[in-house]
Amino acid sequence: MMDVTRDTLMAYLDGQLDGDASAAVDAWLADNPDAAIELAQLQRQNEAINTLFGPVASEPVPPRLNPHRLALAQSRRRWQGAARAAMIVGVLGIGIAAGWLLRPVTDTPALYNRLIADAVSAHTVFVAENRHAVEVAGTETDHLTSWLSNRLGTGLAMPDLATAGLSFLGGRLLPAPAIPGGRAAQLMYEDSAGERVTLYITPSAGIDGPNLELVRLGSDNALYWASATITCTIVGPQSAETLQAIADSVFAQLTPAATAPAYREL
Amino acid sequence: MVDFLDELEACVPALRRYARALTRNIDHADDLVQDCLERAISRRGLFRPSGPMRPWLFTILVNLHRNARRSEQRRGPHLDADSLPELGTPAPQHSHLALAELSRAIDGLPLEQKETLLLVTLEGMAYAEAASILDIPLGTLMSRLGRARANLRLSTGETQEPHLRSVK
Repeated sequence: MMDVTRDTLMAYLDGQLDGDASAAVDAWLADNPDAAIELAQLQRQNEAINTLFGPVASEPVPPRLNPHRLALAQSRRRWQGAARAAMIVGVLGIGIAAGWLLRPVTDTPALYNRLIADAVSAHTVFVAENRHAVEVAGTETDHLTSWLSNRLGTGLAMPDLATAGLSFLGGRLLPAPAIPGGRAAQLMYEDSAGERVTLYITPSAGIDGPNLELVRLGSDNALYWASATITCTIVGPQSAETLQAIADSVFAQLTPAATAPAYREL
Repeated sequence: MVDFLDELEACVPALRRYARALTRNIDHADDLVQDCLERAISRRGLFRPSGPMRPWLFTILVNLHRNARRSEQRRGPHLDADSLPELGTPAPQHSHLALAELSRAIDGLPLEQKETLLLVTLEGMAYAEAASILDIPLGTLMSRLGRARANLRLSTGETQEPHLRSVK
């Protein structure tokens, strides 16, 4: 009689014995009815487990468990992740580029912008004065010319703007701490209606900027231009075209030695 | 790639059956299967041994279930009205009552015994295959299987002398 262990019986129960071994256990069980009954119980246990859960395998599979769908969703997520990463890199790049491009403006305003702002401030302060609008009256043209030319370190002439309908009131010396020479000159004119125009003049050494710029600040227009020797900002309530016409006339007279600015040649 | 997914798809019914028997909850079971499939898809070619797919998938599923159980135990037990077993049509020799009793008894088994018993009886795995899925020696598998069956008989009241019952 063969030796049948519990493990062999279990393997028999689970159908894991080959034909010969299985037949041998069959023969053994015929002589061991108690073991046969116990085995039958375990057989029923197996069947019951399969009755309980076997039918799950024939249930329709919900779409969310379809591997093709899951693979698709996964690759889509991966692409979205990559796209999002690319977007972040792009936005960062734009931000850095914008920061770089705007850097001069945001860090320190360009010098010529400060000159325009100073010109408008000086205009606003002094055109409101009646008796003290100017330091030296326009009647003393020669004195103004030599005085301001000396202080600014560059040759200046007092433009005559009578043809534009403007009479010369005079001029004054102003501090200009932002620029190398530290001084600026203001010349004031008045038309027949009492509207005043000022010229704010500095040497142009050390000032980078465009040759020509028009800015509107409050109710005044400011027209700035620069030549090889000076910068001049014309400030007044007149239209941009009027200021441009005045500027043409001013430039020709202000620095007789200088060549005309580029915009006149166009 | 398509072959891989088709092969995966063929394993889904068995994975659902095993997961349902482990958790006795249709939603938890399908969540588990979905996790398992997603992991398999994302790891394809990376960790998959060159052998057949079914044992690989069951290994993933078993590990996911153990992890879920661990984190559930940390959160504390929760009772779920849905956790009643979904009963199929019982075979003539099994009453609904006996099946419900068995289902509860399976639920009461230690996890390692339940994993083993279900792999062999429900999934029909060869002992060696089941042992490699659970990463245990064959002898350990056999003893777990024996203990699981004895425990079930004990808790379903079938350890009385069988011939006395059959006479009645």
